[in-house]
Amino acid sequence: MHLSETGESRINGYLFVLERSLRSFLPPEVVRDAVREIESHLRERVLSADGAPTEREALEKILAELGPPLRVAQAYSAERTVDEAVATGRVVPMLRAVWTLALRTFIGSAVATGLFTAYAAGTAFLVIAALKPIFPNNVGLIGFETGRWSLGAQFPLPPGATVHGGYWIIPLSIVCGVGVLVFAHTATHHYLAAWRKRQRPEL
Amino acid sequence: MSHETWQEQLRRGGLDLAILLTLSAGPRYGLAIIQHLEAFTDLVVTEGTIYPILGRLTRDGLLEAEWVEGEAPHARKYYRLTRLGAKRLADMKGEWRAFAEKIDRLMVASERAARASL
Repeated sequence: MHLSETGESRINGYLFVLERSLRSFLPPEVVRDAVREIESHLRERVLSADGAPTEREALEKILAELGPPLRVAQAYSAERTVDEAVATGRVVPMLRAVWTLALRTFIGSAVATGLFTAYAAGTAFLVIAALKPIFPNNVGLIGFETGRWSLGAQFPLPPGATVHGGYWIIPLSIVCGVGVLVFAHTATHHYLAAWRKRQRPEL
Repeated sequence: MSHETWQEQLRRGGLDLAILLTLSAGPRYGLAIIQHLEAFTDLVVTEGTIYPILGRLTRDGLLEAEWVEGEAPHARKYYRLTRLGAKRLADMKGEWRAFAEKIDRLMVASERAARASL
Protein backbone atom coordinates (compact mmCIF):
# COMPACT_ATOMS: atom_id res chain seq x y z
CA MET A 1 0.00 0.00 0.00
CA HIS A 2 1.30 3.44 -0.91
CA LEU A 3 0.55 6.04 1.75
CA SER A 4 -1.14 9.37 1.00
CA GLU A 5 -0.02 12.59 2.67
CA THR A 6 -2.66 12.07 5.36
CA GLY A 7 -1.39 8.56 6.02
CA GLU A 8 2.19 9.81 6.28
CA SER A 9 1.04 12.48 8.76
CA ARG A 10 -0.70 9.86 10.87
CA ILE A 11 2.48 7.76 11.06
CA ASN A 12 4.67 10.79 11.72
CA GLY A 13 2.27 11.90 14.47
CA TYR A 14 2.52 8.49 16.13
CA LEU A 15 6.33 8.53 15.92
CA PHE A 16 6.45 12.12 17.23
CA VAL A 17 4.46 11.21 20.36
CA LEU A 18 6.58 8.09 20.86
CA GLU A 19 9.81 10.06 20.51
CA ARG A 20 8.66 12.75 22.95
CA SER A 21 7.68 10.12 25.50
CA LEU A 22 10.95 8.20 25.15
CA ARG A 23 13.06 11.35 25.35
CA SER A 24 11.91 11.95 28.90
CA PHE A 25 13.86 8.97 30.22
CA LEU A 26 16.20 7.59 27.54
CA PRO A 27 19.47 8.91 26.05
CA PRO A 28 19.06 10.49 22.57
CA GLU A 29 20.92 7.74 20.66
CA VAL A 30 18.71 5.05 22.21
CA VAL A 31 15.58 7.07 21.38
CA ARG A 32 16.72 7.46 17.74
CA ASP A 33 17.30 3.72 17.40
CA ALA A 34 13.98 2.81 19.05
CA VAL A 35 11.97 5.23 16.90
CA ARG A 36 13.77 4.02 13.75
CA GLU A 37 12.88 0.44 14.61
CA ILE A 38 9.22 1.24 15.27
CA GLU A 39 9.09 3.21 12.00
CA SER A 40 10.61 0.22 10.17
CA HIS A 41 7.87 -1.96 11.72
CA LEU A 42 5.15 0.45 10.56
CA ARG A 43 6.56 0.75 7.01
CA GLU A 44 6.79 -3.04 6.79
CA ARG A 45 3.17 -3.43 7.93
CA VAL A 46 1.99 -0.73 5.51
CA LEU A 47 3.78 -2.46 2.60
CA SER A 48 1.91 -5.70 3.24
CA ALA A 49 -1.50 -4.08 3.88
CA ASP A 50 -2.76 -4.15 0.31
CA GLY A 51 -6.01 -6.00 1.06
CA ALA A 52 -7.46 -3.35 3.39
CA PRO A 53 -10.61 -1.48 2.24
CA THR A 54 -9.32 2.04 2.94
CA GLU A 55 -5.97 3.50 3.89
CA ARG A 56 -7.39 4.96 7.07
CA GLU A 57 -8.83 1.63 8.26
CA ALA A 58 -5.58 -0.17 7.40
CA LEU A 59 -3.49 2.37 9.29
CA GLU A 60 -5.71 2.38 12.35
CA LYS A 61 -5.55 -1.42 12.49
CA ILE A 62 -1.74 -1.38 12.16
CA LEU A 63 -1.37 1.26 14.87
CA ALA A 64 -3.85 -0.51 17.17
CA GLU A 65 -1.88 -3.76 16.87
CA LEU A 66 1.35 -1.92 17.57
CA GLY A 67 -0.20 -0.32 20.66
CA PRO A 68 -0.63 3.34 21.71
CA PRO A 69 2.71 5.25 21.67
CA LEU A 70 2.52 5.90 25.42
CA ARG A 71 2.08 2.19 26.12
CA VAL A 72 5.05 1.34 23.90
CA ALA A 73 7.12 4.04 25.63
CA GLN A 74 6.05 2.65 29.01
CA ALA A 75 7.30 -0.80 27.98
CA TYR A 76 10.67 0.73 27.04
CA SER A 77 10.72 2.57 30.34
CA ALA A 78 10.13 -0.59 32.36
CA GLU A 79 12.78 -2.56 30.46
CA ARG A 80 15.37 0.15 30.17
CA THR A 81 15.64 2.68 32.97
CA VAL A 82 16.62 0.32 35.78
CA ASP A 83 19.06 -1.56 33.50
CA GLU A 84 20.81 1.66 32.53
CA ALA A 85 20.95 2.85 36.12
CA VAL A 86 22.43 -0.38 37.46
CA ALA A 87 24.89 -0.73 34.58
CA THR A 88 26.24 2.83 34.63
CA GLY A 89 25.81 3.74 38.30
CA ARG A 90 25.41 7.38 37.19
CA VAL A 91 23.35 9.74 39.33
CA VAL A 92 20.85 10.95 36.71
CA PRO A 93 19.87 7.49 35.36
CA MET A 94 19.62 6.23 38.94
CA LEU A 95 17.34 9.06 40.06
CA ARG A 96 15.29 8.56 36.91
CA ALA A 97 14.92 4.84 37.65
CA VAL A 98 13.94 5.51 41.28
CA TRP A 99 11.34 8.00 40.03
CA THR A 100 9.98 5.47 37.48
CA LEU A 101 9.60 2.80 40.19
CA ALA A 102 8.08 5.35 42.57
CA LEU A 103 5.28 5.94 40.07
CA ARG A 104 4.58 2.23 39.75
CA THR A 105 4.38 0.81 43.26
CA PHE A 106 3.64 1.96 46.80
CA ILE A 107 6.90 0.48 48.09
CA GLY A 108 8.73 2.20 45.24
CA SER A 109 7.31 5.58 46.27
CA ALA A 110 8.20 5.00 49.94
CA VAL A 111 11.78 4.04 49.05
CA ALA A 112 12.03 7.02 46.68
CA THR A 113 10.94 9.40 49.45
CA GLY A 114 13.68 8.07 51.73
CA LEU A 115 16.37 8.19 49.05
CA PHE A 116 15.48 11.66 47.81
CA THR A 117 15.51 12.91 51.41
CA ALA A 118 19.00 11.46 51.88
CA TYR A 119 20.23 13.06 48.63
CA ALA A 120 18.72 16.39 49.72
CA ALA A 121 20.37 16.16 53.18
CA GLY A 122 23.78 15.39 51.65
CA THR A 123 23.44 18.30 49.22
CA ALA A 124 22.38 20.62 52.08
CA PHE A 125 25.59 19.83 54.00
CA LEU A 126 27.67 20.71 50.93
CA VAL A 127 25.71 23.94 50.45
CA ILE A 128 26.51 24.90 54.06
CA ALA A 129 30.22 24.26 53.38
CA ALA A 130 30.05 26.42 50.26
CA LEU A 131 28.13 29.29 51.91
CA LYS A 132 30.18 29.52 55.13
CA PRO A 133 33.14 31.47 53.61
CA ILE A 134 30.73 33.87 51.86
CA PHE A 135 28.34 34.50 54.78
CA PRO A 136 30.41 33.66 57.90
CA ASN A 137 27.97 35.46 60.22
CA ASN A 138 24.85 33.75 58.91
CA VAL A 139 25.96 30.16 58.28
CA GLY A 140 27.02 27.53 60.79
CA LEU A 141 25.86 26.09 64.07
CA ILE A 142 23.23 28.60 65.18
CA GLY A 143 22.06 28.91 68.79
CA PHE A 144 18.69 30.63 69.35
CA GLU A 145 17.42 32.51 72.38
CA THR A 146 14.92 29.74 73.06
CA GLY A 147 17.78 27.28 73.58
CA ARG A 148 17.20 25.59 70.23
CA TRP A 149 20.18 24.77 67.97
CA SER A 150 20.29 24.32 64.24
CA LEU A 151 22.89 23.71 61.56
CA GLY A 152 22.30 25.82 58.46
CA ALA A 153 21.89 29.39 57.30
CA GLN A 154 19.67 32.23 58.52
CA PHE A 155 19.13 35.41 56.48
CA PRO A 156 18.94 37.68 58.42
CA LEU A 157 20.05 36.19 61.71
CA PRO A 158 17.08 36.43 64.17
CA PRO A 159 17.56 38.77 67.15
CA GLY A 160 19.37 37.00 69.98
CA ALA A 161 20.65 34.18 67.76
CA THR A 162 24.40 33.59 67.51
CA VAL A 163 26.56 31.64 65.15
CA HIS A 164 28.88 29.34 67.10
CA GLY A 165 32.12 27.76 66.14
CA GLY A 166 34.10 28.90 63.17
CA TYR A 167 35.32 27.68 59.89
CA TRP A 168 35.65 24.14 61.24
CA ILE A 169 32.04 23.75 60.07
CA ILE A 170 33.33 23.62 56.48
CA PRO A 171 35.33 20.35 56.66
CA LEU A 172 32.69 18.86 58.94
CA SER A 173 29.91 19.70 56.45
CA ILE A 174 31.96 18.37 53.54
CA VAL A 175 32.62 15.07 55.32
CA CYS A 176 28.96 14.74 56.38
CA GLY A 177 27.67 15.78 52.94
CA VAL A 178 29.91 13.43 50.99
CA GLY A 179 29.20 10.64 53.50
CA VAL A 180 25.42 11.02 53.23
CA LEU A 181 25.56 11.29 49.42
CA VAL A 182 27.76 8.19 49.12
CA PHE A 183 25.41 6.34 51.45
CA ALA A 184 22.33 7.47 49.47
CA HIS A 185 23.95 6.56 46.17
CA THR A 186 25.06 3.12 47.36
CA ALA A 187 21.64 2.43 48.87
CA THR A 188 19.97 3.49 45.59
CA HIS A 189 22.25 1.20 43.60
CA HIS A 190 21.53 -1.76 45.92
CA TYR A 191 17.79 -1.08 45.76
CA LEU A 192 17.73 -0.93 41.95
CA ALA A 193 19.97 -4.01 41.59
CA ALA A 194 17.69 -5.93 43.98
CA TRP A 195 14.60 -4.83 42.05
CA ARG A 196 16.19 -5.91 38.77
CA LYS A 197 17.25 -9.24 40.25
CA ARG A 198 13.70 -9.87 41.46
CA GLN A 199 12.32 -9.14 37.99
CA ARG A 200 14.96 -11.25 36.22
CA PRO A 201 16.48 -13.79 38.63
CA GLU A 202 18.84 -15.13 35.93
CA LEU A 203 20.93 -11.94 36.05
CA MET B 1 -3.35 -13.06 42.89
CA SER B 2 -6.09 -12.74 40.27
CA HIS B 3 -6.35 -15.19 37.39
CA GLU B 4 -5.44 -12.39 34.93
CA THR B 5 -2.27 -11.53 36.88
CA TRP B 6 -1.25 -15.18 36.92
CA GLN B 7 -1.86 -15.49 33.17
CA GLU B 8 0.14 -12.30 32.55
CA GLN B 9 3.06 -13.58 34.62
CA LEU B 10 2.97 -16.87 32.75
CA ARG B 11 2.96 -15.02 29.43
CA ARG B 12 5.85 -12.76 30.41
CA GLY B 13 7.84 -15.71 31.72
CA GLY B 14 7.39 -17.56 28.44
CA LEU B 15 8.10 -14.62 26.15
CA ASP B 16 11.89 -14.53 26.58
CA LEU B 17 12.09 -18.25 25.85
CA ALA B 18 9.76 -17.89 22.84
CA ILE B 19 11.87 -15.08 21.36
CA LEU B 20 15.12 -17.04 21.83
CA LEU B 21 13.47 -20.10 20.25
CA THR B 22 12.31 -18.00 17.30
CA LEU B 23 15.86 -16.80 16.69
CA SER B 24 17.45 -20.23 17.13
CA ALA B 25 16.69 -21.03 13.47
CA GLY B 26 18.55 -17.94 12.26
CA PRO B 27 18.50 -14.14 12.25
CA ARG B 28 15.16 -12.33 11.90
CA TYR B 29 14.04 -8.71 12.02
CA GLY B 30 11.49 -7.39 14.53
CA LEU B 31 8.28 -7.86 12.56
CA ALA B 32 9.36 -11.33 11.35
CA ILE B 33 9.91 -12.33 14.99
CA ILE B 34 6.47 -11.01 15.92
CA GLN B 35 4.80 -12.80 13.01
CA HIS B 36 6.52 -16.06 13.95
CA LEU B 37 5.37 -15.70 17.56
CA GLU B 38 1.84 -14.87 16.43
CA ALA B 39 1.76 -17.91 14.14
CA PHE B 40 2.62 -20.33 16.96
CA THR B 41 1.52 -18.67 20.20
CA ASP B 42 -0.75 -15.99 21.63
CA LEU B 43 2.10 -14.43 23.61
CA VAL B 44 2.11 -11.17 21.63
CA VAL B 45 -0.66 -8.98 23.03
CA THR B 46 0.75 -5.61 21.90
CA GLU B 47 3.30 -5.74 19.10
CA GLY B 48 5.14 -2.60 20.23
CA THR B 49 6.04 -4.12 23.59
CA ILE B 50 8.19 -6.82 21.93
CA TYR B 51 10.83 -4.29 20.85
CA PRO B 52 11.86 -3.24 24.39
CA ILE B 53 12.25 -6.94 25.25
CA LEU B 54 14.48 -7.45 22.19
CA GLY B 55 16.50 -4.44 23.36
CA ARG B 56 16.88 -5.87 26.85
CA LEU B 57 17.94 -9.30 25.55
CA THR B 58 20.51 -7.51 23.38
CA ARG B 59 21.84 -5.52 26.36
CA ASP B 60 22.11 -8.75 28.33
CA GLY B 61 24.33 -10.16 25.57
CA LEU B 62 21.88 -12.90 24.52
CA LEU B 63 21.19 -11.29 21.12
CA GLU B 64 23.13 -9.22 18.61
CA ALA B 65 21.40 -6.58 16.51
CA GLU B 66 22.36 -5.11 13.16
CA TRP B 67 20.64 -2.67 10.80
CA VAL B 68 20.43 -3.96 7.22
CA GLU B 69 19.79 -1.53 4.35
CA GLY B 70 18.67 -2.27 0.81
CA GLU B 71 16.56 -5.38 1.44
CA ALA B 72 13.33 -3.39 1.54
CA PRO B 73 12.43 0.27 0.91
CA HIS B 74 13.24 0.84 4.60
CA ALA B 75 16.06 -0.47 6.81
CA ARG B 76 15.44 -3.58 8.91
CA LYS B 77 17.01 -4.35 12.26
CA TYR B 78 18.03 -7.99 12.37
CA TYR B 79 18.55 -9.94 15.59
CA ARG B 80 20.62 -13.09 15.99
CA LEU B 81 21.44 -15.36 18.94
CA THR B 82 24.88 -14.96 20.44
CA ARG B 83 26.84 -17.89 21.88
CA LEU B 84 25.68 -16.82 25.34
CA GLY B 85 22.10 -16.65 24.01
CA ALA B 86 22.33 -20.18 22.59
CA LYS B 87 23.64 -21.48 25.92
CA ARG B 88 20.89 -19.65 27.83
CA LEU B 89 18.29 -21.07 25.43
CA ALA B 90 19.53 -24.63 26.04
CA ASP B 91 19.31 -24.05 29.82
CA MET B 92 15.85 -22.50 29.57
CA LYS B 93 14.54 -25.33 27.38
CA GLY B 94 15.72 -27.92 29.89
CA GLU B 95 14.23 -26.01 32.81
CA TRP B 96 10.93 -25.46 30.99
CA ARG B 97 10.57 -29.15 30.09
CA ALA B 98 11.41 -30.25 33.63
CA PHE B 99 8.95 -27.74 35.07
CA ALA B 100 6.15 -28.72 32.66
CA GLU B 101 6.77 -32.43 33.35
CA LYS B 102 6.49 -31.91 37.12
CA ILE B 103 3.27 -29.91 36.82
CA ASP B 104 1.87 -32.57 34.46
CA ARG B 105 2.76 -35.30 36.96
CA LEU B 106 1.11 -33.34 39.73
CA MET B 107 -2.05 -32.82 37.66
CA VAL B 108 -2.29 -36.53 36.80
CA ALA B 109 -1.78 -37.48 40.45
CA SER B 110 -4.38 -35.03 41.72
CA GLU B 111 -6.91 -36.16 39.09
CA ARG B 112 -6.30 -39.79 40.10
CA ALA B 113 -6.75 -38.92 43.76
CA ALA B 114 -9.95 -37.03 43.00
CA ARG B 115 -11.35 -39.99 41.08
CA ALA B 116 -10.42 -42.41 43.87
CA SER B 117 -12.19 -40.31 46.49
CA LEU B 118 -15.48 -40.40 44.56
